[in-house]
Amino acid sequence: MAMMPKRVKWRKSHRGKIRGQATSGNSPAYGEYGLQSLHPGWITARQIEAGRIAATHFLRREGKIYVRIFPHKPVSSKPLETRMGKGKGDPEFWVACVREGTIMFEIAGVKEELAREALARVAHKMPYRCRFVKRRLGL
Amino acid sequence: MQTAQLKAVPRTETGTRVSRNLRAAGQLPAIIYGHGQTPEAVTVGTRALLAVLGHGARMVEIELNSKKMPYLIKEVQYDHLDHLPIHLDLTRVDLDERVTVLVSIELKGTAKGVNDGGVLEQIMNEIELDCLVTEIPDTLQPFVTDLGLGDALLVKDLGLPDGVTTSVGMDDKVAMVREAEEEEETEADADGEEAAEMPEIVGRVRSEEPEEDKK
Repeated sequence: MAMMPKRVKWRKSHRGKIRGQATSGNSPAYGEYGLQSLHPGWITARQIEAGRIAATHFLRREGKIYVRIFPHKPVSSKPLETRMGKGKGDPEFWVACVREGTIMFEIAGVKEELAREALARVAHKMPYRCRFVKRRLGL
Repeated sequence: MQTAQLKAVPRTETGTRVSRNLRAAGQLPAIIYGHGQTPEAVTVGTRALLAVLGHGARMVEIELNSKKMPYLIKEVQYDHLDHLPIHLDLTRVDLDERVTVLVSIELKGTAKGVNDGGVLEQIMNEIELDCLVTEIPDTLQPFVTDLGLGDALLVKDLGLPDGVTTSVGMDDKVAMVREAEEEEETEADADGEEAAEMPEIVGRVRSEEPEEDKK
């Protein structure tokens, strides 16, 4: 099942601004390899799930996949053929806000070529440009 | 442990704009501090520094004001993509001084347990070491070939060089071979349930929850 919070304080949220660069969460923390977003924006829960499944299928039971983002933000929309007004629409789906530089997925315990191929498949499911990154050894 | 050579130029102007202009011109703002002396703002060449970092050097011999002195690279700050360096911290050191540094751990070989269907998980990526400034290891490269399913590599198995100590517990785990977890594949039911289910709202009783549109 696609990810979403278990409990929320408010059903609906403002859209907010999509901008900025990642100041944290911009280097691999759990795995040796990661997929980094090169564009700020929203990633829907379904896109995250599609990416996770693509990597899981490719790696079969090898290695471990870490999803570093979580869709905390509800996005609402109005039903079709509805007149404007009468309040905000109902929540339709959930998104994770990412910034330029955010590491979205990580892979540990596999060889680099395999991780590169798996994350390329994940990148195809993402709505923005991404790049493959390796954990830095040393400074 | 290598000592690389770098050239630095004293920097009088500071601030964001000056630093940005320096970076655009292929230079990197840096600071030298330590030993109770006043900090010195300097500039180093970005390409030269990248070459030094690429070789894993921690100690650099810097020519500043036509005087060569050894310095320890304390920290390198990177940009938001974690790709290009944007600032460098250097500390003054004596060659017989002990320092505390973070050294990365690079696992070598394929664990036995991985061939039996396990997953090698690295729990500790870097370790804090206390050693002479001239004896800082570039990386620690323990072999994991003997690790079977459920076995762990501990800090005491790292084989630290003589004269190198650590404040980390000797029985802390560095890496472990776990059994591979079965990933649930719920691709099909993801679509159906997603729209219908809503998370619980904090502080609201379930019965009064659907406060549907007051149309």
